[in-house]
This record gives sequence, C-alpha cells and structure tokens, in this order.
Amino acid sequence: MTVEDAFSPLAQRVPLATTVNGRPVTLAVPARLTLADLLRDELHLTGTHLGCEHGVCGACTVLVDGRSVRSCLLFAVQVEGRSVVTVEGLQDHPTTGRIKCAMARHHGLQCGFCTPGMLVTATELIDRHPPEKPLDEACVRETMSGNICRCTGYQGIVRAVLEAAADPATGTTHEG
Amino acid sequence: MSAPPPRVTHGPGEPYVGTSVPRVEDQRLLDGRGRFLADLAAGALSVVFLRSTEAHAVIESIDTTRATDMPGVVGVYTGNDLPLARDYIGSLHTPDPGFVAATGFRMPEQRLAILPVDRVHYVGQPVVALVASDRYLGEDALEAVDITYRPLPAVLDPSASLAPDAAPIHPHLPDNEAGRIEVEFGDDVAADAVAVTVEGTYRIGRHGAVPLEGRGVLARVDGQRVSVWTSTQIPHLVRQGICEATGWSVDAVRVVVPDVGGGFGTKANVYAEEVVVPVLARLTGHDLVWVEDRQEHLVGSAQGRDQVHRTRLSVDREGRVLRWEDDFLLDIGAGGLWVAGVVANTAIHLLGPYRIPRVRLRGRAAFTNKTITAQYRGAGRPEACFALERSLDDAAGRLGITPVEIRRRNLLTAADLPYAQPLPYRDGVPIVYDGGDYLRCLDSVLELLPAETVERLAAEHPDLTIGHGVGCYIEATGRGSFESGRVRLTSTGGFEVASGAASAGQAHETVFAQVAADGLGCSLELVTVRRSDTDLVRHGVGTFASRSAVLAGSAIRRAAEQLLDQATGRAAQLLGVSPDLVKSTASGFAAADGSSEWEISWADLATACAPGGAQEQLGPLDVVEYFHPETVTWTMGAHAAVVGVHRGTGAVSVLSYAVAHEGGVEINPQVVEGQVIGGVAQGIGGALLEQFRYSPTGQPTSTTLAEYLLPGTCDVPDVQVRHLGVATPCNPLGVRGAGESGTIAVSATVAGAVEDALHGLVRVSETPIRTGPLRAAAEQIRREGQ
Ligand code: FES
Ligand code: FES
Repeated sequence: MTVEDAFSPLAQRVPLATTVNGRPVTLAVPARLTLADLLRDELHLTGTHLGCEHGVCGACTVLVDGRSVRSCLLFAVQVEGRSVVTVEGLQDHPTTGRIKCAMARHHGLQCGFCTPGMLVTATELIDRHPPEKPLDEACVRETMSGNICRCTGYQGIVRAVLEAAADPATGTTHEG
Repeated sequence: MSAPPPRVTHGPGEPYVGTSVPRVEDQRLLDGRGRFLADLAAGALSVVFLRSTEAHAVIESIDTTRATDMPGVVGVYTGNDLPLARDYIGSLHTPDPGFVAATGFRMPEQRLAILPVDRVHYVGQPVVALVASDRYLGEDALEAVDITYRPLPAVLDPSASLAPDAAPIHPHLPDNEAGRIEVEFGDDVAADAVAVTVEGTYRIGRHGAVPLEGRGVLARVDGQRVSVWTSTQIPHLVRQGICEATGWSVDAVRVVVPDVGGGFGTKANVYAEEVVVPVLARLTGHDLVWVEDRQEHLVGSAQGRDQVHRTRLSVDREGRVLRWEDDFLLDIGAGGLWVAGVVANTAIHLLGPYRIPRVRLRGRAAFTNKTITAQYRGAGRPEACFALERSLDDAAGRLGITPVEIRRRNLLTAADLPYAQPLPYRDGVPIVYDGGDYLRCLDSVLELLPAETVERLAAEHPDLTIGHGVGCYIEATGRGSFESGRVRLTSTGGFEVASGAASAGQAHETVFAQVAADGLGCSLELVTVRRSDTDLVRHGVGTFASRSAVLAGSAIRRAAEQLLDQATGRAAQLLGVSPDLVKSTASGFAAADGSSEWEISWADLATACAPGGAQEQLGPLDVVEYFHPETVTWTMGAHAAVVGVHRGTGAVSVLSYAVAHEGGVEINPQVVEGQVIGGVAQGIGGALLEQFRYSPTGQPTSTTLAEYLLPGTCDVPDVQVRHLGVATPCNPLGVRGAGESGTIAVSATVAGAVEDALHGLVRVSETPIRTGPLRAAAEQIRREGQ
C-alpha cells in the first residue's frame, strides 16, 4: 500500500480483539473487511470457503459463540469480544471427527468445496440438538438446507450426518 | 432411508480396479486443507474486471484517468494496453472432415475480443482490467472508470437473430448463424403404415454448471516464464489459448491446476481472464490473482442448454417408431468455443437408444446478446433426450399404451447390439453402439422403482398428486483425440502419476492410483497422483465429456505396464538372472531358480538408476503414454422418477429416483455411483429450478444464488443406482464414461412423471417446468375428486 492509501478513508483501520479457534487475536482491520476475508486473508485460515459472498450457499459457515453464522455476511469488527471457530478449529472436536469419518465412508464429498461449511453446520446440528426431538433424515435435510453442494446430490452427506449422530460412542457404521 | 450401498472392498493380491477404495483426497478436504485457487492468493496483488453493463453496444470511450489515481491502484488496462498477438481465443473443437461431409456441418470463426475496445456483446463481458493492492480497493477504483456506451438493439431471441434481415451481431460475419448441421437417413415411410404422428415444440431453458467454487487465475512471472494457476478442467488447452493470444512459446507458459471446486463443463473452457492475468503479470512484474465472485460467475462464466426443438415422430400401430424429425435451434449467446461439439452432440444423441429407421434432423446455432456458452454436463445430450423422450411419451398417450411399453417396443436389445447407425461420429468413425442390452436397463430401473410405488407414496403424501415417469438415454463417452498418462519411479521407490485430465472432484487421485497400482502390480500406498501441471505432462487435453476414466485411465494403465516391463528387465539385470525368472511383487521383484531366491525392492531399483547407481546409464524409470481411442464407447441408461405435484401450489417434489445404467468396468464403484447421483441432482435443478433469465433489454436477472436456484437438501431425494457393467473392447480398462449419465435423462423423466401425476391434463414441454399450469391441473383433479 502506498503512502496516500494510508490516508484514504476506505483504508481506515479499526482495532479488533477477538478469539479465533481458541487463540486471542488482536489487530487493526478495515471497518468494511468481512469476517470471511479476515479469516482467509489476514489469518490464512483458508478452510472457510466463499461460494457466493451473499449468504446463500453456506460454504463460509463458521461458529461464533457456538452458533453457526455465514462469515461472508458479517464484518470482522462484529466479532469483537466473541469466539470464532472455523473448520480448522474443529480439528480435534469429537463430533466433527465422527462426521468426517462418516463423510468419507459415504462419499459425502467430491470436490470438497462445500465440505467445511457442511461440517460446521452438521457439528452444530448434532451438538445442539434437543434430545427430545428426533434427529432423523427430515431433520438433517431441513437443518442442512442452507448449505449447497453442487457435486454430491446430498445423499452421502445426509447419511454421514445421520450415522455420526446415531453412534456418538464409536462412529461405526449404523444401518438405518 | 435405504441401506448404504454394498462396499466392494479390496483383498490382498486382488486388483484395485473394481473396488471402492477410500478416496485419497478426502482427508485434506475434510480438514479444511484443500488448496483451491483462492487459497493460493497470499502475496499477490488483485486483478478486478470492469464488465459490460450493456448487452449490445458500441464503446464510445473509456477513460481510466480517475481510476488510475485511486488509492491502491497499480494500473488500469484496456484491450489497447495488452500486448497481444491475437485478440481473441480460438475454437476448442473442429469436427473431423468425414463428419462434416456427412452432416453438412458448418461454423464461422468466432472472434469475441479478449478485452473489447469497440463493441460489447453481452452483460458481463470483461472490458477493463485493473490491478490493485487488494480487491476492496480494486473494486472501489472500478467505479471510477469512465466508460460511455452507445447502446445497440439487443438480440435475445435466436429465431429473430437468424432472420434473414437481422443485423449481424459480430461485424466480421455475414449473419448470426454460429453453426449448422443436417442429418438424414432411411427410406420414406408409407403413409398407411403410420398410426400416429405427434408434433411438438420443446424448450430446454438456459442453465449451467454453476460449480460451488467460481473461477480464478493466479499468475507468477519467473524469469522468462509465466506460471499460471487456474481453476480449470483443461490446463493444456488453456496453455494453448494463452500462447495463441500472446504469441508466447509453449515453453514459456506453465499451467497448473490446484484443487478445483467443481467444473461440470463451465471450467472446460478457455476464458479471457486466463489470458489477461498472465499478460498483466508480465506487464507489471507482480504476482497477480483474480478470484471470480458469484455475481461475476452468473454473468461472465459460460452457460449452457438453451435449445428449442420442433419435432415430429411417427409410430405404427404397435408403437414402433417409423420416422423421427427434429428441427432444433441453439442459442449460444455471444459466443461458444465448443459450438461444434454441442451442435454435433445434440444431433447424434437425437438418435437415442432405439431402432429408428427414418431420421431427418436439422440444427442451427445462433449468436445472441446473452452470456457465452460452453459444454455443460451432457452438452446437447439432455436436450436431445428431452425432445425424443417427450415425443415418445406423447405418442404412447395417443396410442393408449404406457410410456414404459412404447420404450420396450423400440429399445435396442441384445439381439440388435452392437448396432450401427448410418452416420459417422464426430471423429469421422462410423457410429456403432457397442452396448450389451439396452432393454435390460429399462427392466432394471423398473425393478428399482416400479410404477406401483405411486400408490404407497400417495398414501404417505395426501397433499400431493403423484406420478411415475421413465426416460432413456444414450451417451457417447471417451472422445479422443488423446489423453496423456505419465508414471515415474521416484527416488524413494514410490510412483508418481500425472495426466492431462485435471480433476474437479472426480477423485482422480484415487482412481488413477488404482489403475497405476494394478498396472505396476504394486501396493496402492506406493502411488501418488499429482495434480495436473503442464510441466509434468507436456501434452494433454483435459477432463470433460465423460472422458477421463476412459482416456487418461487407459494412458496411465499403459504407462504403468510399460514401466513394469522395463523395470522387470532392469531387475533381472541387477540380479543377474534371466527376465523370465523375475516376478513382480507388491513391493518390487522376486526371482527364484530352484535353489536360491532373490528379492529387489522398487527402492533398490530407484537407487540403481540414480547417479552413482549400477544402472545410472539407463536413466530414470519414467514412462509417458498417449492413449488415442479408435472412437467413442457408448453408455446407455434408463431413469425412473416418482414425483408429487402439490395440490395447492403446483410445486413439484421429486420423491424417489432410480437409475440403471449400462456402463463399463468401474474403476471405483463408489466414485461412479457418486458421479451418477450428483448428475441426477444437477438434472433435477435443470428440470425444476435453474434458469438464467434476461430482461427484454438483455439484462441478466439471475445474478445471485437467490435468483439462480441450485437444488438443496430438500430438493433431491435419495437416488438408487444399479450398474449393469458391460466391458468395452475399446480401451484396455474396459471402462465407459459415466460423468454425464446421471444428468441426461432427468428432465425428460421428471416431465413424464409430472404429466402422469396430473393424469395427462398438462403437457410438459419446457424446462424449468413452470408450476402455474400444474397448479391449475392439480386444482381440477382435486375438484373432480380423483
Ligand atoms: S459464501 Fe457465505 S453463504 Fe455463500
Ligand atoms: S462436494 Fe463439491 S460442492 Fe459439495
């Protein structure tokens, strides 16, 4: 960036303190920087993908204070003081681990571009599902309906989420 | 939900081909460690494009002064600022002269400018490129580019575009015809033989690939060379496009394909951005990246379909087809580098998997002021299938027989196959369907999803009126001219495999490793498949038209076998025994002469041919093979669907779906099944949801994913797939392509099911299927208490 650029109102930076994948992050960001671009461009967490940048495809889904959000629709400054978890931050999360194994077994991914968003949404679905409600196929399809996959036809994804939900102990094959 | 598919697992000593070994790609993609184009952007400056806001206009002036002074801007470039040898991208496919002679195929040369300076031809066409320190500042600066257009009338209707008095959209051409074809064979039919003739007009809407990852290009200059990373299916054709446009030598350009987030044909194209970004990298000396956003994608990336068919089908009293005529029109928008492919595909696949004695087909492609087109999954086949299958359903209805029955009476059976058509394929070789038994696919799909399913589902869904439909398709797969495969022994005794066929989610890293491991007789873990890179294989074509498993798979198989052969000789030499005593093992070679036994590993062989080794003078074990198929191999299949039409809204839900297809040997059955199921999902999108719409002045109105609707989890049911394998002698693996099998027959099948659900009160003759007329019919059924 040139010297004049630093004076441009467009480039004006705002201080931001947040937590990403359990680590405190303090930096100055342009006020208009999206959360997705903060994660990808500033923090190099490229597992969060951008499929539309207008809130429809779900590829950019991350957790903010444990709830799924579309990181393309939030400004980075909106996560001030909050805790952001991306697919990278779910590396050791047992629910996500089970979903991943099941996704591979059921061919729930082809190009893999939608996959991180799917994993975040499915992790929230399983972790926060009220026990009194059945976590069945209809529920999985409805909850995942904001995540688009252009490759798989969803069959493997739905099976994988059901399998991961059904057998928290081992994640082994569940016929059903 | 039905049970998961049976897993074909791999046992010791068995071939890997034919088994669903887990995908090698999955771990990194699941961990968020994929490396897609945008993930490589760190350190590069951003390129952003100003795109035409006019469908058709003369550019009166472009003033970049204000934009150049904006913060963060490195440079602003029009077409006049690019040092190009040729300012357009050439055709990607020229049909064989034999095919041209037989079909009267003609097409003019297209010269859509890389960055136009005098005239724009569609909204979304790139006009100005701007380099900035980041995308935010770049997009700010785009707003300061001053450009004046003098609008010209936008031509949006292909018939109007082809009218004799229509002004040519492209000034170097005499008219707006982008291609034409004519196919005619068979004797005239006696009038008294005809029991029913049905005529129809069928429209297949404009929809397209819309992969979840858009396109993107990254260029880095390194001395005299430019390396280009691009989200493409066809790296070698991109290299060719860059070289033709710039005049650079192929040795000066390297094209590398990162992880690609879906392609489906729109990335099997060469784009202006793929030329402009490397040119600007050279001009500016910076690493540059352009990452397409979704809005750009929906106006600037190649679209597909958009055909109208005017048909006439005559059958005899038994429902046997006597005569089939179709006059079709394709709207290719402002340009389509694959127009020859789509026009020819449409004509050829109109022949269907049936016995049809008399055929008369004419096709024309028209230029309009809509977005450019390429080959979207199926590329003419789904359109042809829709016209023929809908006509068959119509004829069946008039005769009072079922849609299943009319197909049963016309499908080619084991007694007919192989079946020659009196026409050459696009490669000039006479068409011979090399199938086993097409009728078996219909029987099989009805076992999976019998018409009686309707009753059960009707009971479960009282708010819906339910129907059953079938559709059949044929698909030429594995088109030449060639594909490359390279296998080399690494210094540690592993193998590296590379090919010109780039992966966009088709699991090449897994399936090509299976093929190579079988050819080498080694364990799968020893094999690594590299992503496509023109430095790894100097020649190649790419992934499209269901060709990679067939062509690249065969090339890799042969390369692996040759490498094994060479290595066996070398092992014998090292061991000092005769080559016929040497046997390959999972880890290398063994030899025995009765009294003694020797072993030598692949790592030992690698050491022997490295500098200082005993076989240094023999050089590395590294084999490149090109596989040229004699001609295509044919896949056939039958689809069945049960759909429900909502009694109140007319909305269509696909409740159950099945595909039975006659493919070849499956390298990895789970991967093939995934291709078919994913293909069905895209077909459902095209049948019910997806459409690129334009305003009367040519403004695209489907510019977000809220308007261009992709099918979601609730739109796609579980799909049952049955594979009826018939190996083909056309290639060493016996494989047939399957990448498009899922998509082709969906619109036809769903349309048939919708008509059945509405007791024939509506005729479905266009996609996406409009719900208005369905609602009226559903309402009538409800009133009549049926
Ligand atoms: S990128 Fe955020 S929803 Fe699509
Ligand atoms: S796997 Fe490609 S978009 Fe889902």
